Amino acid sequence: MDRFQYLAVMAACVAITLPLEFVLGARVWRRPGRLVRSIAAVAIPFLVWDVIAIARGHWTFSERYTTGWIVAAGVPVEEVTFFAVIPVCALLTLGAVRRMRGEGSR
Amino acid sequence: MPEYTLATLGAMLVAVVVDLRVLRTRLLTQRTFLLSLGIMFFFQIFVDGWLTKLSSPIVIYAAEHASGIRVFFDSPIEDFGFGFALILGVCSVWDALAARDARRGGRP
Repeated sequence: MDRFQYLAVMAACVAITLPLEFVLGARVWRRPGRLVRSIAAVAIPFLVWDVIAIARGHWTFSERYTTGWIVAAGVPVEEVTFFAVIPVCALLTLGAVRRMRGEGSR
Repeated sequence: MPEYTLATLGAMLVAVVVDLRVLRTRLLTQRTFLLSLGIMFFFQIFVDGWLTKLSSPIVIYAAEHASGIRVFFDSPIEDFGFGFALILGVCSVWDALAARDARRGGRP
């Protein structure tokens, strides 16, 4: 199961931040259209960066802790997951803090 | 300057320009956003640390392409600039889309 470790970290990030939506009242998962567009707007340039960084050897991925499934251009599925999950966590955090400070949730 | 360091500074600059000048969401002037950013950085210490810890790294960084400054659980300091750009970027786009929807008379 070691090879699912990177994906497991990403799954944990989704699970741990879920209460921000359903307990603290952030409205991120409930705006799927805006969420997908927001993720795409940052994930695409960051994946381009990732492709270049991987090609130039800035970073590599543990064969033990990743699935080895390459989506395209040397980018592992874990990285694509990262650029979807981390933006969701960021938006949920901002949404929850806004709600708690009485600013509503945009 | 190492390439990852340079790319990180570039990404941070782009994110700041997008927030303040391009989309004009001005998140960097809002205390609520800065508080959120602080919370996210706190959690990044552990999530990023799990990925980068030198005892059993998931992501392995080439020494020649980074500053070599590793913080907390061996995270390259650049990772926090990378996180800053990713967080500020997505929040800025989100708010810009929300503002556009509000102008169209949709949900705020």
